[in-house]
Amino acid sequence: MFFALLLFGGTISAQSTGLEPGNKSPQIKLPNTKGDTVALSSLKGKLVLIDFWGTWCAPCIAEQAELAKLYNKYKQSTFTNGKGFGIYGVSLDAKKSNWENFIFTNKINWIQVSDLKFWRSPVAKTYNIQALPFNILIDGNGIILAKNLHGTDLEKGIASYLRKLMTEN
Amino acid sequence: MKTKILIFLFFTIATSVFATNEFSSQGQSDPWTQQQLLAPADLAKVLNDPKAPKPLVYSIGMQAIIKGSVDIGPTMRPENLNTLKEKLNKLPKNTQIVVYCGCCPFSRCPNIRPAMELLKNMQFTNYKLLNLPQNVKVDWIDKDYPMNE
Repeated sequence: MFFALLLFGGTISAQSTGLEPGNKSPQIKLPNTKGDTVALSSLKGKLVLIDFWGTWCAPCIAEQAELAKLYNKYKQSTFTNGKGFGIYGVSLDAKKSNWENFIFTNKINWIQVSDLKFWRSPVAKTYNIQALPFNILIDGNGIILAKNLHGTDLEKGIASYLRKLMTEN
Repeated sequence: MKTKILIFLFFTIATSVFATNEFSSQGQSDPWTQQQLLAPADLAKVLNDPKAPKPLVYSIGMQAIIKGSVDIGPTMRPENLNTLKEKLNKLPKNTQIVVYCGCCPFSRCPNIRPAMELLKNMQFTNYKLLNLPQNVKVDWIDKDYPMNE
């Protein structure tokens, strides 16, 4: 009976937090460039793209212009149970100067956090990241909607989930 | 019309860049041989054995993650490549050397080629590239191989 309970408990916990669509995304609390901790949950209520990137990752850099376009286009969107689209950028950089310079030069205006631990960042383990770029789209309650949307799929995904959220009761 | 030409040019250039990358990822133009690739398990075994003689391990990427490795910095930058050159200048040509980056898949890593070319051009005879085909997380950290504190 005890083991049955243990197994059952394990199943429940695996269902509530995980990395597949429908699972609750694990919390992230990391410092921004000023050193202030910003939690992923601070974006509660918004449709959020968690963007894992690094200044050393060429395809990630190439994608930042597209992210800026999408952020500015959708950040003010309103929907039934929340408001707005946000991006939570998590950098796997190792050096603060590289990270900070890129954000400053490219005028990135969404949340950017990093523990500057490169591939040793615990968040890379929590989110089971195998390669960069990697992203996860979550709803206002932190539930994973989709993962690794790139190219045209990225805008299509954001636009379609926003449409869905706008019409939801 | 001009737009059409520009679009055509873009696709021509993009296709040729893609083709070059494909060529490169097949290893035909890479400055190393299959014999110069060192399996992570083999290096981990040596690093975990207190009695085994250790090679000189240089991190030529973002961070010296591997235990005992020396941080050179990304060798895509000439100043870091020069740091590596200065260190190599002081060593006998038959020194056992291992270099690694591990940021990205081999096919698009900007650091491993300049470093391996340097070692080749300086006529070292006993150097290897750590075989981290995906990255240092998947091919080293996730396997619990030894790391620097």
